[in-house]
Amino acid sequence: MTIKIRALLGKLGIDVHNRGIITVAEMFRNAGMEVIYFGNALPAQIAQTALQEDVDLVGVSSLGGAHLTLGTALIQEARRLEIFDHTVFLIGGVFPPQDTLRLKEAGFDGVFTPEATRSEIIAAAQELVHAKKP
Amino acid sequence: MSAKQRTTREILQSQTLQAERTPLYNPEALEKIRADFKSWTQEAFNAHAREAWQQTPRTVLGSDTPRDLVYTPLSCPDFDYQKDLGNPGQEPYTRGIHPDMYRGRKFTMRQLTGFGSAEDTNRRMQFMLDHGATGLNVLFDLPTIQMYDSDDPWAAGQVGMSGVAVDSIEDMDALFKDIPLDRVSVSIVTHYPSNTAILFPMFLAMAEERGLSRDHLRGSVQNDTTLEQLIRSGAEYIPPEACFRLQCDNIEFIRQQVPKWNSTTLNGYNLREFGTSAVTEMAVAAANAIATLEELIARGHDVDAVAGRLTFFWSVSNDFFEEIARLRAMRRLWHKIMKYRFQAKNKRSLWMRCHVQTSGVALVQQEPLNNVIRSCLHSLAAILGGTQSLHVDSYDEAYSVPTEEAALLSLRTQQIIQEESGITDVVDPLGGSFYLEALTADLEDRILNELDKIEQRGGYVQAIGDGSLHREIVDYFSKQHADIEQGEIKIVAVNTHTSQVKPPPINVFSYPEGVEARQRTKLAELRQNRDERRVQAALQNLKQACGRSENILPFSLECARSRCTEGELFAVFKEAFGLWNPPALW
Repeated sequence: MTIKIRALLGKLGIDVHNRGIITVAEMFRNAGMEVIYFGNALPAQIAQTALQEDVDLVGVSSLGGAHLTLGTALIQEARRLEIFDHTVFLIGGVFPPQDTLRLKEAGFDGVFTPEATRSEIIAAAQELVHAKKP
Repeated sequence: MSAKQRTTREILQSQTLQAERTPLYNPEALEKIRADFKSWTQEAFNAHAREAWQQTPRTVLGSDTPRDLVYTPLSCPDFDYQKDLGNPGQEPYTRGIHPDMYRGRKFTMRQLTGFGSAEDTNRRMQFMLDHGATGLNVLFDLPTIQMYDSDDPWAAGQVGMSGVAVDSIEDMDALFKDIPLDRVSVSIVTHYPSNTAILFPMFLAMAEERGLSRDHLRGSVQNDTTLEQLIRSGAEYIPPEACFRLQCDNIEFIRQQVPKWNSTTLNGYNLREFGTSAVTEMAVAAANAIATLEELIARGHDVDAVAGRLTFFWSVSNDFFEEIARLRAMRRLWHKIMKYRFQAKNKRSLWMRCHVQTSGVALVQQEPLNNVIRSCLHSLAAILGGTQSLHVDSYDEAYSVPTEEAALLSLRTQQIIQEESGITDVVDPLGGSFYLEALTADLEDRILNELDKIEQRGGYVQAIGDGSLHREIVDYFSKQHADIEQGEIKIVAVNTHTSQVKPPPINVFSYPEGVEARQRTKLAELRQNRDERRVQAALQNLKQACGRSENILPFSLECARSRCTEGELFAVFKEAFGLWNPPALW
């Protein structure tokens, strides 16, 4: 069964670099997903919006070094609001190599660096949503 | 801009038409060359090759400027040495702004530095100076750039990340501890007009407390509306008109009070790296410069009192000859704009002075050591184009802020070019090349045409407010991304010559720990120990000045002296100017 994926995308915290996440937003829309773009927000605001908008997927971008602190906080908020178990959480950006594993351990379903291609990102998003949907 | 007012292109065209030219190549020689060239192309190439004579290099951040297979005098038949080039240091300054260029004054080696606390960054700056850096270039962390204090909820998790945390004059003091500010020039990368109006007064107040005369301070601030309103992704924005006014307030104050300080760095770099061509980068910066000068003239200033301290900041990326040519093209164009549009008299006003940073977007994670070569080529183009100062991006920046080792290698890249290669011994060494001169002329036209488009739409501030520039950027970088995915723009080890062998890991910088907690403690102590009555009075006076359309800098300077924090001043701006919803990029 194919569902139209509803995705919430934006910048984690006040990082200024938004070229990557806008590129991903376009990719998702071209792949038939519904995209809600929130701009810049803090973890609690993002989790709250995800709950209100009842999205299937949350994708955040961080190129400013705050991926571990704010990324971990986002997952904690998502667990607290009980949306983590049925919502896919993706993070992309510029990270030191060892942090990819740490972000996965923190709970992100997918972690993407600039090396990731369009097909990898979209395939992962679709598979993860299907796997995590109740 | 009123409907009757002529655009820059119209003004320049009427001037150029009047000017008499003295072509270097005589008609008889050109005729012979033309006949010979025609028979040569017929003999040496088949019809298919002749049709494919022009090719367009597809490069990261390129401008799609078509190139011939080879260039000859026929490519620039009316080339006039004096009108098009002149000697170095002579109008139209195509060959450089100084007669002796790098023999007289080497380009300043100014590596961008900033991470952790003021003390952390101070240590790295001392390290770079100890190893031969000739200028400083300070980058702030995201909360500082976005104007939140380190203990603001918006700052959580980002204090000291990708730049240095500065909340008040106390941090500014620690940042420049033991640095001789009367001898070393400092580029303070404030980014926005709003935070320039907050952070530069902190710098000035700190210099005052050290007893330094403002006359001896040398350096630059960024102070650029493009950065605040067009490129930035942030949570809260003031309206473009207010932002542009702050940009002009900063310039006005600095010109009057700090004579050797560059009052604005018209930003091409971040715009280009966000996603525009080499041509748009320069057109937007020129449009901003023109709007700025018009505003300051309207405020009653003489153009020559202001223009001599405007500087430009360019990204230099992969298309090697295009980068060299457009630096020369922009110098020539800027000279014409200042001379014919603004009737500037002072030589300095006619100079397009610039700082170049090599392209960060052009660096990739795959096989990161390849980035050393890319940055070196970018540096070479910047120097052959005649830049005044340079930052070389480090090979590890596709992962994090550079390590000390990588930052040193960037400085060494500059030193090797300066000391070992002989490249800087001759001024404008590529001047007179048929190819480079044709390309320089072509790029000058293209930049002027893009500037004309912005002016036709109502000028710089209008183009930002109505979202047309925002859309242009997104279109450009979406297309670049697709072209890289499809392999039309080639990147070695990414989409061509890829390898299955994993290169050995490189050292990647880790941020110092505990910076946020330390900043919170410092802020608590500051708020405890300062004269609260003085603080509130200074903030109140600033707010009133914002409402009165009076230059706000004397008031933000008093705020800095009173130990107000950055976030407190930003709160005043938000209250006084209101908030703006920027055009959606997506």
